[in-house]
Parts: sequence; structure tokens; C-alpha cells
Amino acid sequence: MQVFHIRYRNAQGTLMRILNAVSRRALELASVHAEGAGQDYAVTMLLEVNQKQIGQLYREWYSIVDVIEVRSRAVLHEQEVPAWGPHPPASENIADQSTRAALA
Amino acid sequence: MLKGAEIVLQCVRAEGVDLVFGYPGGAIMPLYDALDGSGIRHVLTRHEQGAAFAAEGYARVTGKVGVAIATSGPGATNLVTGIADAKMDSVPLVCITGQVRTAMIGTDAFQETDVFGVTLSLTKWSRLVRTIEEIPEAIAEGFHWARSGRPGPVVIDIPTDILKAKKEFSGPVKFTPQAQPADVKTESTFSDKIVALLHGATRPVALVGAGAKLSGAIPGLRRLLDELNVPTFATVHGLGAVPPQAPYYLGMVGMHGTRAANMALHETDLLMVFGARLDDRVTGDPIKFAPQAKIVHFEIDPAQLDRVRACELPVIGNLAETIPAFHAGLRHASLPDWSGWRAVACGAERAELDPRGLAQPTMRFLDELFSRLPQDNVIIADVGQHQMWAAQRYRSSSPRGFITSGGLGAMGFALPAAVGVQLAKPDTCVLCVSGDGGFQMNIQELATVHRLGLPIKMVIVDNKYLGMVRQWQQLFYERNYAETDLSDNPDFVEIAKAYKIHGWRLNEAAMVEFPVSAETGDLIDTFLRSPGPELLVFDCAPEANVYPMVPAGAALSEMVFGDE
Repeated sequence: MQVFHIRYRNAQGTLMRILNAVSRRALELASVHAEGAGQDYAVTMLLEVNQKQIGQLYREWYSIVDVIEVRSRAVLHEQEVPAWGPHPPASENIADQSTRAALA
Repeated sequence: MLKGAEIVLQCVRAEGVDLVFGYPGGAIMPLYDALDGSGIRHVLTRHEQGAAFAAEGYARVTGKVGVAIATSGPGATNLVTGIADAKMDSVPLVCITGQVRTAMIGTDAFQETDVFGVTLSLTKWSRLVRTIEEIPEAIAEGFHWARSGRPGPVVIDIPTDILKAKKEFSGPVKFTPQAQPADVKTESTFSDKIVALLHGATRPVALVGAGAKLSGAIPGLRRLLDELNVPTFATVHGLGAVPPQAPYYLGMVGMHGTRAANMALHETDLLMVFGARLDDRVTGDPIKFAPQAKIVHFEIDPAQLDRVRACELPVIGNLAETIPAFHAGLRHASLPDWSGWRAVACGAERAELDPRGLAQPTMRFLDELFSRLPQDNVIIADVGQHQMWAAQRYRSSSPRGFITSGGLGAMGFALPAAVGVQLAKPDTCVLCVSGDGGFQMNIQELATVHRLGLPIKMVIVDNKYLGMVRQWQQLFYERNYAETDLSDNPDFVEIAKAYKIHGWRLNEAAMVEFPVSAETGDLIDTFLRSPGPELLVFDCAPEANVYPMVPAGAALSEMVFGDE
């Protein structure tokens, strides 16, 4: 199982788009919890995914306009407190500006 | 004080829009009431799907944002196929829909649908406007997201009471997106890495997709490819990006690609992808796709990476920036000698099996048609066998010269899209190629063509079948032609006549001679050069098939070339 923690701006539909990335892949969603997190919002999900799907989900979530940050880690025990790791390696880029355009 | 509808139109106009496509109805009536004097021309299609496809055609040929307008409920749901098409093919499209009154939302009111919810997974961004104050920001933000990054569709749903409400209006606003997290390296090292990969490669190739065109990277890409001089091929949306006469160009790749392109892609040990999604129509069986290749993937949308297979080097960014940066990095690099590989990949043994004059009659017809087109032309293909034949025979180097519904494969696309293209390019010869099935899916747009006097040249390749489905039934379902028989088609020439459009008929027997007879040539020339709209029905053999073909589940190298 993998825990995902996604920080997002709570614009119309953003949470639904985040969840849609999961439902369109027919993934098992063991739990989901969304709440305010400072100025933003955060959703935490427990998913049964493989390594390839993790990468796909990261990229799809980052392509959603109001998603700010995605983190994840494997969970071995249900009660384990997640220590968030960095997301999968970023792609090669020539400049921040170009990447921001790409992520738009 | 301005009404909400007037504010919408002023904001849309401020985005540079002077042409929109749509169909009126109850909830959107205030917007239509405000059109006169807005500076925006509205084109009435005869179905909302036609409006969405026409807006797409306009956007695809110009690179600008296309705008479609519809009312609530069925009007909005009729846009959905166009929205899905725009998502798949990265087309900047803004759909403005009317919604029932704010107080009625959620009550299952007459003509109420949750269009925001319906289109959530198909849009890049959407907004249900809740107050008149939100309108300027919603329009500015919607247009921003439609055209930025990987372009795509946007829906702005506006309740009718908000369109009718009034407020002081200080003018359109500009949208500034919030900065994305800086999660990437800023130094440019990818060029060196590609050079290193090139030095280790013995069979490098380049694959060009739509992204190269959409980003405006074509001039830089052509210079780069000339220098690399490696076997190169294109997806259906990449057609026109590379001049077909380039000695390293092998044509279209994929399910109905050329033998040379598919073999080179199968054998390569270094695949450089420029703006292509690598969808299943390009890869064949993903497990067997380019089995020895390392992949360098130039792409603007990170979500497209690694969908088929992990790539060794993803290069995320606008191709108009990343391609020149890569090219600059080649300046001091001496590339290996790949002449042996080029000789194999581009050699005579893999050359086209069906050159002009030897091809089957429909391809010969398309050869005649295309070769007689004026220099300034755009071809719009619908979906099916004729689409693949047209793509196979397309020989232009115009980057936006071949338009089709490639990702979604939406039958009925071509005719309304041609309306949008012709309005965007009034002096260009617009050729719309459809099948008999697809043409009937939006045949009502003949009325739009006639009303506007658009000189679109419409061709129906009429085999009296849903041809591509029938082909699959023949090859993979033991000739069980279940529900694909269209032998009771109407007389399309008479249909055109009813819409006051002149029609022609040509039988494939006219293609037996090569070169074609003077009479046939004159007919095609007259058809193409007529100042008004024309329809030409080409009657072809019911069971002609598109070859080469990569069967489902096969590798690109396992193409079949005929019925046996």
C-alpha cells in the first residue's frame, strides 16, 4: 500500500480531479481524507498501486491546475506514521519557466 | 451598468476572439441577446457537436483558442464529444454553456445537467460561475489554461440569472497563474546526456508528433533533423512537420504506417520522441514496442511520460525551447557515422509497396485529388479507412495542413471542423474527406456550409460500410459483418442538392487507367476549383482494406500487407 499526500488550492473541482486520476485507473482506494491545511487544502489517500502507477499518478496530479505538491511513501503497517519522501525524480529541464509552462 | 452577458462577451473579445460557434437555447438566451454589437461574429451550426468541432477546426488550423457556445442540459451534453476530442488532441477550446438559474441548480430543473461534473474528467479546467463578479476572472483564467502548456478544453458554465444580472464593469482582467513549485533542476545538462546516448547508438531514429507543431517548434526541429540525419517518421498528427522529400523521412508510423517507418522503429536502439504521446496506435503491443530502444522523450506534459514504457531521458518543457537547446548542444559534438543504418532503414528494399499508379483505386483517387490541389490547402479527414488512406497519401510539408480526430477518433468530425477551418482561412482550398458513415453523423452541417457559402470541397469515400469496423470484422471476426452494412445509404448527391450544394459522382472504375483519363482529370479539377461548396461522392469497392496494418497485439514489425 502507498500513502499519497497532495496539497492543493481548493478551487472548484480540484479534489474531484485528484480523485478522478485514481478512479479512471480503477485503483483500490482504501481510505481518503481531505481537510484544510493552512492556506491550502490537503488530501491523504491510501492506495494499492505499483511503481509504474505511482509515477503516472504523480505526473497526472501535477498536471492538474491547482495541485501544489504531491508526496508519497510506502506503508508497511496500518498504524505507521508516514515520513514523507520526495516525489519521483523530476525530468530534465532547461529552465524553471519552461517547466512551469509545461506543468500548466 | 452592464449585464453579465455583456461582460462575458467583452471579456471574450478581450482575449482576441472575434468568431465563435454555437447554438442558442433557453438558459443561454441572454448571451445571444447581447451578441449584436459585441464585435464577435457568431456562426450558427445545426447541432452543438458541430459547434464544438467547428471551434476545434478553427483552433487547430490557427493555433488560437476556439470558442463554442451552447445552452444548458442537452446543449451542453452535445458538446461533450468535442470536449473529449480537444482533450485527446491538445486543442485549445473554451466552451461557454448556459445553466439554469442559480436558485434552481440541483433541483433537476428543466434542461439542467451538471455539465461541470459531466466534463470534469475531460477538461483541463472548468468553472461554474456563481456570481456576476466572478465573470471577468473566470473568462481570463479559462482562456489562460486553454492555451497554456499543453493546450486543452475548458468549460465555463454560467447560470442564466447571472447572465441577466447587472453590475458596474471596470473592464476585462488579466490572469496571472500562481507559481508552480520549483521541483526541477535549472541547469541544462540534458543535451550532453543525449549526445552521450547518440554516441552509444548504432540505430538512432526520431519520431515527430503533434507537440512539435503545437509548440511552434517546426523550424528548429527541421534544422535539428537535417543535422542529425537519422531515419525519421511522424504520427498522424505529426504529418507535415517534416518535409516528405527529406532523404531521412520514412512517412507515417503506427498501425497503418509505412513498412520503412515501422521497421526502423522496431529495430532502433535510440528513439528520440518529439511531442508524441506514444499511444497504442503508434506503439502496437507495448510489450513488443521498440524492444532494444532507449527513449529520449521531449514532451510538454509530464503526465504523458512513461505511459507505455519508462524512458531513459525525459525532457520536459516547451519544444520551442528544448529543441534549440539540444541543437545548440550538438554544435561541438561530432556525431557517429550512421550511414550504414540509414542505408538499411531508408533503402529501396523497404520503400513504399504501392507507389502512385500501382496503389488500389481509392488511394489512387486520393493521389489524384491531392496532387491537383492548389498550393494553399488544408485537408480535413474524418475517421475510418479513408482517414488512414488520406494520411498514407498525404505529401505536404504544411505543419497545420492535415487535420483529423486522431486521439478520440470521433466520426463526424470532418465536416464541421472544415467549417471552422474555412472560416479561419477563407482563401485556402479546404478539402474535407469523409466516409459514408461519418459524413452522416454531422450531415446537418451542410446547411451551415450553404448558409455561409463556404467553398469547402467535400469528398465522401462511399464503400457502403462502416469500413474500418468491417475490415476488423473480416480479419478478426471471421467476416461476421455485424451491423456495419450501410448499403441503404441515401443518395448523397441528392442530399447535397436538397441543401443547394452541387454534387458529383465518380466511380472507382475511373481509376483503372493511369494516368487517369482527361475526362476524370477535368472532373476533379472542376470540383476543386469551383468557387462554391461542392460534394464529390467516390464509389469504391465495399471490401477494400487499409494496408499495411499492424494487427492488435502484434509488434510493429509484424505488419500484414494484404488479405492473404
